[in-house]
Amino acid sequence: MWSRSKRFVSVLVIALLAFGALAVGQVYDRNETLYVSGAAWGPPNDWNPFITWSKANTTGTIGYLYETLFMYDPLNDEFIPFLAESGEWVSDTAYEITIRDGVMWTDGTPLTAEDVAFTMNLGKDYAALWFAPMWNYVINVVAVGDVVRFDFTEEPLYQEFDNNLYNIPIVPKHIWDSKSEADITGGANENPIGSGAYMYETHSSDRNVWLRNDNWWGNDVFGVPAPKRIVDARFSSNSVALGSVIKGDVDLSNNFLPGIATLAEKGYVKTYFEGAPFMQAANTAVLFLNTTKKPMDDAAFRRALAYAINVDDIVRVAYANLVSAASPTGLLPSLAKYDDQAVIDELGWTYDPTEAARILADAGYVDVDGDGYVEAPDGSAIALEVTCPFGWTDWMESIAVISDSAKAVGINIEDVTPDYGSWNTALTNQTFDMTLNNWANMSNTPWTLYNLLFNHPIKEIMGSGNFGAYDNQELFDLVDALAAVPTTDLAGMQAVCSDIQRIMLSEVPMIPLWYNGLWAQYSDSVWTNWPVDGSNDPARLPTTWSGYWQLGGLLTLIELELANP
Amino acid sequence: MRRYFGRKLLIYLVTFFLAVTIDWMIPRFMPGNPVQNMLARASVRPEAAEAMYGYYTKAFGLDVPVWKQYLNFWVALFHGDLGTSVYLFPQPVSKVLRESIPYDIFLLLPAILLSWWAGNKFGAFAARTKRLDNTLLPIGYILTATPYMWLGILLAWAFGVVFDIFPIAGAYSFSMQPHWSWAFVWDVLKHWFLPFASLFLVGFGGWAIGMRNMIIYELEADYSHYMEALGAPRKLVRKYAFRNAILPQVTGLALQLGVIVAGALVTEVVFSYPGIGYLLLAAIQNQDYFLIQGCFLFIITGVLLANFLIDIVYVIVDPRIRRGMVGE
Amino acid sequence: MTPTTKNAKKKRNEFVYFALRNTKLKVGAVVVITFLIVAMLGTLFTEFEPREYVGPMSEAPSSEYWFGTTFFGQDVFTQFVVGLRATFMVGAIGGGLATLIGMLIGFVAGYRGGAVDESLNVVTNIVLVVPSFAILIIIAAYLEVRGLMMESIFIGLTAWPWTARAIRAQTLSLKSREFVDMARISGMKPMRIIFTEIAPNMMSYLVMAFILQFGGSILIAATLDFIGLGPTTGISLGLMMQNAVNWGALQLGLWWWFIPPGAAIAAIVGALYIMNVGLDEVFNPKLREM
Repeated sequence: MWSRSKRFVSVLVIALLAFGALAVGQVYDRNETLYVSGAAWGPPNDWNPFITWSKANTTGTIGYLYETLFMYDPLNDEFIPFLAESGEWVSDTAYEITIRDGVMWTDGTPLTAEDVAFTMNLGKDYAALWFAPMWNYVINVVAVGDVVRFDFTEEPLYQEFDNNLYNIPIVPKHIWDSKSEADITGGANENPIGSGAYMYETHSSDRNVWLRNDNWWGNDVFGVPAPKRIVDARFSSNSVALGSVIKGDVDLSNNFLPGIATLAEKGYVKTYFEGAPFMQAANTAVLFLNTTKKPMDDAAFRRALAYAINVDDIVRVAYANLVSAASPTGLLPSLAKYDDQAVIDELGWTYDPTEAARILADAGYVDVDGDGYVEAPDGSAIALEVTCPFGWTDWMESIAVISDSAKAVGINIEDVTPDYGSWNTALTNQTFDMTLNNWANMSNTPWTLYNLLFNHPIKEIMGSGNFGAYDNQELFDLVDALAAVPTTDLAGMQAVCSDIQRIMLSEVPMIPLWYNGLWAQYSDSVWTNWPVDGSNDPARLPTTWSGYWQLGGLLTLIELELANP
Repeated sequence: MRRYFGRKLLIYLVTFFLAVTIDWMIPRFMPGNPVQNMLARASVRPEAAEAMYGYYTKAFGLDVPVWKQYLNFWVALFHGDLGTSVYLFPQPVSKVLRESIPYDIFLLLPAILLSWWAGNKFGAFAARTKRLDNTLLPIGYILTATPYMWLGILLAWAFGVVFDIFPIAGAYSFSMQPHWSWAFVWDVLKHWFLPFASLFLVGFGGWAIGMRNMIIYELEADYSHYMEALGAPRKLVRKYAFRNAILPQVTGLALQLGVIVAGALVTEVVFSYPGIGYLLLAAIQNQDYFLIQGCFLFIITGVLLANFLIDIVYVIVDPRIRRGMVGE
Repeated sequence: MTPTTKNAKKKRNEFVYFALRNTKLKVGAVVVITFLIVAMLGTLFTEFEPREYVGPMSEAPSSEYWFGTTFFGQDVFTQFVVGLRATFMVGAIGGGLATLIGMLIGFVAGYRGGAVDESLNVVTNIVLVVPSFAILIIIAAYLEVRGLMMESIFIGLTAWPWTARAIRAQTLSLKSREFVDMARISGMKPMRIIFTEIAPNMMSYLVMAFILQFGGSILIAATLDFIGLGPTTGISLGLMMQNAVNWGALQLGLWWWFIPPGAAIAAIVGALYIMNVGLDEVFNPKLREM
């Protein structure tokens, strides 16, 4: 009896000791780990770099893991060779890329021109891949030694091609050529093999953990990324993220967080700019107007609305000064050189309710029945809705401001917030009146924005832009012409942009309102040397957003330093 | 007794059949097209979008006639195949659920059982004990009338923000990988405590009040007075009263399950606890047919099973049914 | 005058006497009525609209903004009183509808018995066992634009089963009473018997069922609103809590934003429950405190 319980106790003690010993190595060292959040809301679900709509859920799939041929520095408008050592147009219809030497996949196989050619050819074989349309003007892509040669038809879309150069992720041929179509276009690609600075380590429903690749080719070229481990935390709500940033549990947060302006001024967090708008501009929030419905089919009405909206109130109230008003052309500050200031001076608008009322009256919109709201020139009542998805709180506040300021000049617009799904259906099927959208990222070319705003041809379902189905062939031709201008031809691009802007500003098919920020707030408690205004050589963007690693996000990691080494 | 179980079983089967049918039906007739929504975010050229649309409609099995989709649904169900999540594409729904279910069990089972047990004990103790009764009554009513999320918010604010003792989000720290160590177990418990406490407290108030009222009914019943008149000790009378009062409380547990599930759902939302409730909300916001179905199916099956278990317990506790004296 | 109605009248006088002496009932009623008055007259004390940006952002309660302001500078008090109104509406409509359906099904099942009872019983059991909240969520998600009325009706449609069950049991016991037999022999139609003979004799029961359903509906509505599946227009107490949480009220310490709405719900529903116990004591002499 005695010995039995003794034995039991000793087994228990050993078990406890073993239990304790296991702990080592599975609790991350704070000084080796970078905690980031805000790039994605959902759980990490796939590591397939070709699933564009969900790659946001596993931020880093492109950037940490898979790499692109070039990086693009949006602040200095410069391409930085990445997997490519160099690239050049050898003729108007042929482009050659020399692949960098000594790049390895993490399984030890070298990355070669064969891998690049293989990746490009996937777009030819599978129409469901996002870059398949490139093959409308590409004839073939072949690897010759360490060179990849692209041959084009007579009319290459230079703008789109350049954009693809820093957006198509290169995958290893020796692994991907045995995959089925379903796996390539939609497989989860678990335990991925990449070539990048970080490797997949583990994940759970609220995190995605990346481990530094100590054999990364870029260590000698760009430098060694500082954090050994990156924990990408998926918070469920703004408030949780906010708490973690204040406490310093999260080093870099890329959520839109309310109240950051106050916290930044008090010194709790750092932001890119010291004062308003605190954040860099990342994309343009545009009010799309459904031109298939009355009275949005009337350019005068649309113009009056553009004058009526109090963007300053959106900036001040809905965003507490975290954003800035957009140029009427919608182009981001980084693309300002494509703005034709003369056109803007002549046709642009600012908030001016008196002017709005004047345009309305001139065009025959008057309050006939005395209810305080104008009626259409044919006497019919106007009752419109401005929408955004329920739960997108900053936008919900913004459309409330839009509604208020429209009512102030006599246009009856209610703000309505349907669920995301029905909002989305209304958006693509033109069953909305007016709604907000911002689906064009920072880019090397104004064509990216214009491709969203003036997407064509007009179809029953407008799934990729031009949601208000604004139909203007002259404008569409100009957008197509812009796509075909070589990216080196600045004057040529500016000329086409000027023509586009002249139509856009006189017809007002949609109203660019403000620049959504590249939301970024960082804590200095563990990691320092974050990008701040004035240190852009080369551009380092303080962001973990998908699609921004190759815009300078990766360089941010390399420049980080420990606060207390 | 066989008749009793037969009837119960029949009702559960019919309910299950109907629930599965509703489950299949409702999301399918919801406004919006999930494939289109999914692709809208891809922001690709129209040519590619069309090809992708056709491809994924087929991949999700939405291209066959509706009746066939229904049959396929049942067949797949019995193979444990709940389809592919749209929101978490390309993960299978069954896998997504499997990752969440342990958290629900870990949170709900202790919260339900402990609050029921403690509430009953305490309610019985407090009944007709003047001073306790006067404090218990208001507190219990306030607790049971408190919206789950509000109690959660208060706890999170007080203990998570003001005093900063407990974490208020997630199931374990971001600095840990799941493994067996005291540090990790402690971490998990710390994350579990506040959501557990909000579920426990609301439940506790309800059960304590229920029991207190039941005991008073029983103590005022003729048999109690008769026993007292015969000179039975007060303790014995209370014991009998408790035995009789516990029966409606068992039934009450079955009736309350739906409410508790709803409470767990919002509690998980407040504390970002990665259970089914949290998942269901995300699924609805993203119009994920298959994930909504999976969550709903899990909730229905769970509640049905729990009801069935409670029926069995009831038979064990209630001597009348055990001896086959009543049919229902 | 039949013996039944005489009986009922005597009972009513007795009820009023004990009701006025019951502390629980009085306390509960005072709390509920106070909130009701605030809901009805509160807007007289505020010149703001619930979503209007009225002044300084995130300001603590003051003489000007009684409950402080939200993160955007909306007046919390205004939102609170307007939200209270929605709360009472959901309680009245949702709770009323649930009681009504439960009553009808309970009466018919209990009085008719046999196959009618059997089939209604199966329906009741099914609705009882399916977690109504899960159904409500799906319905809520199904409707693109939701109103307060719609929400109340759907809550009513899913909350009735336990009332039906309880009323069925009561009807069963009343059915075999003498006065019901008398009515039947005298050739009264079943529906008339139910409403003239049975219902008045369980008035106390119906009132209590309604009170419980009232409180239950308020809680369900608040829960739906909190997860963003409540009305898509207007303001409610649940929505206030959701906004507060979403906008970091906890982390930024804006307690005046999230405490009033939850406290009001807890107070109203708690008071209703306490009223219910009070009523129980009034109706059931055995339960009165010694």
